[in-house]
Amino acid sequence: MKKILKARELSSFLFLVVLFLIVGILNPSFLTAGNIIACFNDSVVYIIVSVGMAFAIFIGEIDVSVGANLGFTATVVGCMLRDGQNWAVAFLTGILIGAAIGLFNGWGVAVMNVPSLIFTLGTNGVMRGMMYVYTGGAWVENLPAEFKQLYTMPLAGSITVSFTVTAVIVVVVHLLLKHTKRGRYFIAVGDNPAGATLVGIPAVRTKVVAYVVCGIFAAVSGIVFSSRVGFVTATSGNGYEMKAVAACVLGGISLSGGVGSVIGASIGAVIMASISRLLVFMELGSTYDNTITGVMLLAIVVVDALMQRRTAEMNRRQRLAARTGSADFGKGGNA
Amino acid sequence: MNRTFSQKIKCFVTSWEMVLLCLLVAECVIFGAANPKFLKPALLFNSMNDFMSICIISLFVTFVMITGGIDIQAGSIVGLTSIIIGVTWQDYGCNIWVSVLIAVAAAALCGALSGFFIAYCGVQAMVVTLGGQFLYAGVALLVSNLASTASYQGISGFPEDFRVLAKTKFFGIVPSQLVVFLILVVIAYILLHRTKYGRKIFLVGVNPEAASYSGINYKRVIMSTYVLSAISASIAGIVLTSYLGSAKSDLGSNFTLNIITAVVLGGTLSTGGKGNVIGTALASMVIGLLRFGLPLCFKIGTQYLDIPVGILLLAVVLGRAAAGHPRIVNLKARLKRSKPA
Repeated sequence: MKKILKARELSSFLFLVVLFLIVGILNPSFLTAGNIIACFNDSVVYIIVSVGMAFAIFIGEIDVSVGANLGFTATVVGCMLRDGQNWAVAFLTGILIGAAIGLFNGWGVAVMNVPSLIFTLGTNGVMRGMMYVYTGGAWVENLPAEFKQLYTMPLAGSITVSFTVTAVIVVVVHLLLKHTKRGRYFIAVGDNPAGATLVGIPAVRTKVVAYVVCGIFAAVSGIVFSSRVGFVTATSGNGYEMKAVAACVLGGISLSGGVGSVIGASIGAVIMASISRLLVFMELGSTYDNTITGVMLLAIVVVDALMQRRTAEMNRRQRLAARTGSADFGKGGNA
Repeated sequence: MNRTFSQKIKCFVTSWEMVLLCLLVAECVIFGAANPKFLKPALLFNSMNDFMSICIISLFVTFVMITGGIDIQAGSIVGLTSIIIGVTWQDYGCNIWVSVLIAVAAAALCGALSGFFIAYCGVQAMVVTLGGQFLYAGVALLVSNLASTASYQGISGFPEDFRVLAKTKFFGIVPSQLVVFLILVVIAYILLHRTKYGRKIFLVGVNPEAASYSGINYKRVIMSTYVLSAISASIAGIVLTSYLGSAKSDLGSNFTLNIITAVVLGGTLSTGGKGNVIGTALASMVIGLLRFGLPLCFKIGTQYLDIPVGILLLAVVLGRAAAGHPRIVNLKARLKRSKPA
């Protein structure tokens, strides 16, 4: 029980609840089951891309190419579906593209030791240009109707199949990360790369795998994106990388790596996806979207950094106290 | 300086700036060969108006990256500056120069805010400037809502003495933007390479702890670099607004990749501690000419320009990483040893 209370995801979840309640107080017509379920249903793309981003951040790196990855996959898959290609083939191609982009990023960052932001920024530019090359700047339209219905297909009541599947995937990924040996590698590498290497964890390989996973999730979100929106433009997926980072931070994942969970990332993603809907109910309009996102992101990271500094200071004091033998600061310490 | 003149020359010829200079010449030759129009002085100088803002900003983003930080918010500050000038001038009846001052002050404030979070709260530069990018672009959008004209139209009709700022042509051909850029290059060069403040920036980049032990207020130094880069972004915003003759909130929104590429290509280490202004200036010109020459000479659409720039960035960082890779370094050492003395 204590463990649950201490979990960082809980504070994000409480933040989400408080956010909903505040909007509910300002505008009571918001607090209906339909609206709240719609908030969750609409966040599927964000959740998937944020879970991928979470892997990159777990290992202490970042991947700002997910937006272009999402857009490029959506373009390619969209074109294939429009041309009557088999769905399975199209989806598989998309996922392979995502994995390839992830592999390239992972190679540059983990093997060649290039700073991740700069390397993925370059990949982002290249992939964004490739989208223009692929379509010539035209929109990808006329996707099959069954494909477009995929996103909104209801499961029970107004809960969609896509959201349910996503939620199940998130939980499975969470369990894999927390309860398998290889899953825990990611956190270990992010927490202390040198230490992880010393205890025999293949740090470079883990980092590459994290990037590949991130790429695959971005590709899947691209497929979901094209199903949800129904068309793909040359600027589709612009800015998703930033929103995904923001979602991860909101979900309690530390950007220095090694802390957090994909559940947190998903909750953060729901918050990010709900902002525009909440703004409508607060009668502010979507022009506030960027401002609110920026303020929330800055507020959360600054508070996070200050809290971390405080814990570090407390731990240091505790260790010092333990060493000098005074029992004032809790016995043992947590070295 | 006890190096002889010939040593200095040798040092210069083998330097990275020389490589950039060669690149610049090569670009001129290749583009000129593909389309002789490229080398027409009037056209060439005119084209500079389109990319000078990138050059101006990258000069001071170099400072940020030398301290080990990164600045991806500069692009959004360009738009913020532009729209503040427009709105304060059109809707609040300020004198145009007063609006310019207000805009610069606002930009400096934005830089200071981000710099404060980075230096004093210890948040990673990348995240803060990421948040800043959202925030300042959002604020720019909100400011544009205060205007009486629709935001997509932009605010135009600026007085002539403001438009003159970017329209003047020295000797009938050199655009004033280039002159502004050259002045800023000199200022940045002196600031970074000839003053105590510049040495402090390098020391902070190499080792902030050592810097603080030697009595440098490294937090203030870090914060000041963000203020400088924000001010340079505001200068770019002013020049761009004056050149286009219209104030828009989304100016500069696609600058980030170009700025970072210019700084990295200019020889600045992304991990900090090494870099120089001349390199950045040359590199930004290389990128600018690339963005001008490719569409003109090879009929490549402007939407595709992110590909060459992105590839350039990847090639540079990969090349540099490969040069520092243990295996390559070993190989080099072995080659040197095996060579007869």
